[in-house]
Amino acid sequence: RSGSKHATTPADNYYLARRRTLQVVVSSLLTEAGFECAEKAAVETLTEMLQSYISEIGRSAKSYCEHTARTQPTLSDIVVTLVEMGFNVETLPAYAKRSQRMVITAPPVTNQPVTPKALTAGQNKPHPSHIPGHFPEFPDPHTYIKTPTYREPVSDYQVLREKAASQRRDVERALTRFMAKTGETQSLFKDDVSTFPLIAARPFTVPYLTALLPSELEMQQMEETDSSEQDDQTDTENLPLHMSTDDSGPEKENASVLQQNTSLSGSRNGEENVIDNPYLRPVKKPKIRRKK
Amino acid sequence: SAAAAAPSEGAMSNGVYVPPSAANGDVKPVVSTTPLVDFLMQLEDYTPTIPDAVTGYYLNRAGFEASDPRIIRLISLAAQKFISDIANDALQHCKMKGTASGSSRNKSKDKKYTLTMEDLTPALAEYGINVKKPHYFT
Repeated sequence: RSGSKHATTPADNYYLARRRTLQVVVSSLLTEAGFECAEKAAVETLTEMLQSYISEIGRSAKSYCEHTARTQPTLSDIVVTLVEMGFNVETLPAYAKRSQRMVITAPPVTNQPVTPKALTAGQNKPHPSHIPGHFPEFPDPHTYIKTPTYREPVSDYQVLREKAASQRRDVERALTRFMAKTGETQSLFKDDVSTFPLIAARPFTVPYLTALLPSELEMQQMEETDSSEQDDQTDTENLPLHMSTDDSGPEKENASVLQQNTSLSGSRNGEENVIDNPYLRPVKKPKIRRKK
Repeated sequence: SAAAAAPSEGAMSNGVYVPPSAANGDVKPVVSTTPLVDFLMQLEDYTPTIPDAVTGYYLNRAGFEASDPRIIRLISLAAQKFISDIANDALQHCKMKGTASGSSRNKSKDKKYTLTMEDLTPALAEYGINVKKPHYFT
């Protein structure tokens, strides 16, 4: 219905024009009856009734017509409809003759609402032969045709090399700055502390230990193989002994054995000791049984 | 042959079957075959107040596809009569209210009749249509 919106579509205008025509008709009928003026609410009521009446006649006549397996309503359908609605059909000719003197007002409205063609894109698919012509058309092709859009990735070696290098540099810079911002920093300049922060070096008590011990990766691999051979104790003991024989100094042996023992015995608990982040949980490794 | 004999008893006039008991004139035939057929022919040159396009628009919205434009004129005429009947009833109410006390005898009631909701509501109530409009808007 026509709401309080100011912008009306052509269909709304079409509807409103006809509604106004009905109002004019109602006003002319009231004038013919003898009224000089009328309340707006009364005119609105009668207009609404007139519109409903016409619509109801149409609907009911259509129903009666279809009830007898026809599609085109005839005079009989209308007569039956009017009788059903309580209308005295016999008085109709008399009324028609009486109101001959009424001025025929209300010029008909001529504009028809046309669906705007501005938004149609592309050619609609024509109907296949088995679809009748009065069915609605197919929608615009862009609604159901998928055309993937992708750009060919750049495969120029030089460009790729440059991209990889710049990305690595950016990552390194970002990470180091992050560590400098969140950790302790040392500064090269006496007065200016914040311009070039350097990540503070942590002195180790035993500086050469990290060089002698196996790297994290090797430790992980060792732990994995140990977890798979959990039943076999000799192998687990053999491993640290084997590793320790590689070391030269006795201290290093002890340290390395200690390190590995603690790591092996506490391999289940070691991660719990290491993790201090409350949002992390220790990894649960699946037990892989390898038959020797 | 009873069925064949029955039609011969009744009088046929104008395509209306009148039972023998009605020949006295006591009972009027209730339904007659479309008397408006003749009237429909007259409608060709008579244009009702409601334009054909407007009536046709509302009929199309209801699903009624009119093959004959005279059918549309008939429907618009029927709708017109419906409204004018209500308007006349409202006018009667208005006149009754005005001259109920018999105040104006010398001069007739002034010609200005205004259709108000107070007159329209009882007129519609006789047709079984109940309207309740708010008196004011807040």
